[in-house]
Amino acid sequence: MSDKLKSGLNVALLFLLFGVLFLFNRYGTGYQLRILNNIAIFITLAVSYNLINGVCGLLHLGPNGFIAIGAYTSALLSMTPAEKELNFILGQVIWPLGVIQVPFAVSLMAAGIAAAFFAFLISFPVLRVRGDYLAIVTLGFGEVIRVLCNAAERVTNGPLGLKGLHPYTNLWWSWGVATVAVIVIQRLIASNYGLALKAIREDEAAARAMGVNPFRRLMLAFLISAFFSGIAGGLLAHLITTISPSLFSFILTFNLLIMIVVGGLGSTTGAVMGAVLFSWGGEALRIVEQPMDFGPFTIPGIPGMRMVIFSLILMMVILFSRKGIMGRSELSWDYLESKLIARKAR
Amino acid sequence: MKPFFQMSHVTKRFGGLEAVSDFSIALERSELVGLIGPNGAGKTTTFNMMTGMLRPTEGDITWKGENITRLPAHLITARGIARTFQNVKLFNDMSVIENIMVSCHYSINSSFLAAMLGLPGHRKEEQRIREHSLKCLEEAGLARLAFERAQNLPYGLQRKLEIVRAIATEPGLLLLDEPAAGMNPTEKIELSAFIRRIREKSGITILLIEHDMNFVMNICERIRVMNYGRSIAEGTPGEIRTNPEVISAYLGGAPHAQD
Amino acid sequence: MSATLFLQQIINGISLGSLYALIAIGYTMVYGILRLINFAHGDLLMVAAYVAIYEILLFSLPWFVSFPLAIMATGAVGILLDRVAYKPLRQAPRISLLISAIGASFLMENLALVLIGGVPKPFPRPDFFSRVIEVGDLHILVLTIYSPIVTLLLVLGLFYIVFKTRAGKAMRAASLDFEATRLMGINLDRIIALTFLLGSSLAAAGGIMWAMKYPQINPFMGVLPGLKAFIAAVIGGIGNIVGAVLGGFLLGLCEILIVAFLPDLAEYRDAFAFLILIGVLLFRPTGIMGEPLTS
Repeated sequence: MSDKLKSGLNVALLFLLFGVLFLFNRYGTGYQLRILNNIAIFITLAVSYNLINGVCGLLHLGPNGFIAIGAYTSALLSMTPAEKELNFILGQVIWPLGVIQVPFAVSLMAAGIAAAFFAFLISFPVLRVRGDYLAIVTLGFGEVIRVLCNAAERVTNGPLGLKGLHPYTNLWWSWGVATVAVIVIQRLIASNYGLALKAIREDEAAARAMGVNPFRRLMLAFLISAFFSGIAGGLLAHLITTISPSLFSFILTFNLLIMIVVGGLGSTTGAVMGAVLFSWGGEALRIVEQPMDFGPFTIPGIPGMRMVIFSLILMMVILFSRKGIMGRSELSWDYLESKLIARKAR
Repeated sequence: MKPFFQMSHVTKRFGGLEAVSDFSIALERSELVGLIGPNGAGKTTTFNMMTGMLRPTEGDITWKGENITRLPAHLITARGIARTFQNVKLFNDMSVIENIMVSCHYSINSSFLAAMLGLPGHRKEEQRIREHSLKCLEEAGLARLAFERAQNLPYGLQRKLEIVRAIATEPGLLLLDEPAAGMNPTEKIELSAFIRRIREKSGITILLIEHDMNFVMNICERIRVMNYGRSIAEGTPGEIRTNPEVISAYLGGAPHAQD
Repeated sequence: MSATLFLQQIINGISLGSLYALIAIGYTMVYGILRLINFAHGDLLMVAAYVAIYEILLFSLPWFVSFPLAIMATGAVGILLDRVAYKPLRQAPRISLLISAIGASFLMENLALVLIGGVPKPFPRPDFFSRVIEVGDLHILVLTIYSPIVTLLLVLGLFYIVFKTRAGKAMRAASLDFEATRLMGINLDRIIALTFLLGSSLAAAGGIMWAMKYPQINPFMGVLPGLKAFIAAVIGGIGNIVGAVLGGFLLGLCEILIVAFLPDLAEYRDAFAFLILIGVLLFRPTGIMGEPLTS
């Protein structure tokens, strides 16, 4: 299949996507819109997370920290001074946050940059180690961020969190960011830079011997992942309009882990699929936590059942189908074409 | 005339163990030199120091006039020293051509931003890298396997691929660590021819570690022998073959009072 | 601060540290042999506490019966955990094991949530442990004294097993060279099961004492102590049992003393443990008892 045809098909797909979004935006219910926004945000998060865990092969357990930084940065910058006054009842928010306010787009950019900056700072300790140690250090940093969000009341309003954020996030923002993230990250992975990252994953010593600088390349991936995670955090904040430190606990990391493992560790397509399945599945599974009516019977809702099912799914995948849905492969036009040809040949 | 590559009085200690002691070697352009010695003599440790994977405890390493003793591995590769490994260390889950394309990474001229944005400058670079890699594979007779997974290759071809991958970094000095290990006689003959062809074509200096004596004597112009971390002999294959110290090092016998 | 208060804090620190030590041992033993961070280890505290509670509530067993029973039951749960979540992945890449561990941990916590409910239950602390000893100005809960003593006894018992028995020798061999041990004809499955049994039992003992110390138990009670005990194991040198004990006491002391001297920073208490962890991983990743990493 020629490159031109592929580009054409990609553009057509994008038109289709945004056409569908347009229709939902017009005619969809609030509930549907919320789910669609959720899906897009999770796609951004999953694809960024997959870059580190899947492509680079590092077990990064602290994405919740980056998302939190993005969410708070975006929220604090987009709120009006009056709104901040209203929120910060425990003590006045520190200068200059009390007086500053920027447009939503700028706050998102700042969110991404703040998260990336933090990633830059911690890449020095984190990238000195590998394997389990890296897992624990990143977990530690994620937790430290969460605790800091709780404790730094003058900055984040502590456990009370921030309420009354403007619901700036709409389908265009969330899906726009998701589309850009997928395209840009996948381009990186498919490029020679991506090969360098995969080489580090496969055999770091050999990669060094072939001229690859693991620290610089991994830091690059780390920063890019954090950047998009931060922006997604900002989108999330302005979708649910209330954020608090408990939102960014290790459970968030766990959810992302489920998405990319079930989708296929190392596959961007897999990450997208995992995100969609998780969001949609998460909504669908909400019914087990709600009481259900079966005529004369009512089965009471069981809170926590959703997480039990998610944990079970994760364990099933890891134990029996370790590669997930896509393994490390991507869905591509060439692949579909070959399937079509095989079918015609029969 | 200053030698192309020079290792001077290099010592490597791990805690109390001295793996390499006061080792010196000089290599000239386009030489084919062998490094032999019993197991544990310190040959791979020496390779590791030459390529920046280990830092010498004492001594200096000079390459093309520059002191590279403290440089990290990836910078040494960029300066033109490449290597293969004792145990095959291919990028297993990647294709054959992808393995080669990694070798071109250090010389890439476009930024990651250009890659992410799909800019034409980057696409040209990718094209250049792909062509260079394909050419390396063609010259080695591996082009038909370009899209095979590296780990699916038979052992002999995997070893060959490792060599091609190292050559793709366009080195001035190539270090081969037991390239013939595990090969049958036919494969070894092909390997000999392959190594000679490499040297003729690009004038690379080659230093190789090997245990197969025939292989080494056949192909190397000069041989250095190590035992217990020290240099014990150097000379042409003919000289080494009859050197009593070398013989006793391999066959055992009275240890020499080196300490 | 007064000398009495300082002494009080030291005692508290040692007491807390003894609990961390007990839990840390389990982490370090499993890591030593399987190179696995058993994320679900902390949740064993929760299992032990709930088993103990239900034994007391449902069967009116006295504490000196229900506690040992709970410990044994938790030991069995530990073996089961390995069989189900880790054994099938012996040959898998390490990342899979870590993910399985995280999954198992979440499963246990949420299963408990579903079955028992999230409302914290008060743990019936036996009167034996509730007495308060007065020494001069010091008021010390008897439990606070018993914890380090029990810990010491259990640790001595463990040392005996590990260093003086054949099974223990096999465990030590397995932690040094897994494959070679198998080649020596030693039944690795049994050794691994023993490791989980011992580690989980110690964690259970720690869990019950923790439940007596902080008598509101809930399905997620093991998360934070588990993480901190893991940090203690890393500080001491992961894989090293002596290190785990040292690390546990050290962490407990640091935690109590930092909060005592800097009460304004009490909210950051949990972050301290992580900051210590990051510090250790930066400057001496192999921990106190580990070998310093060479170049």
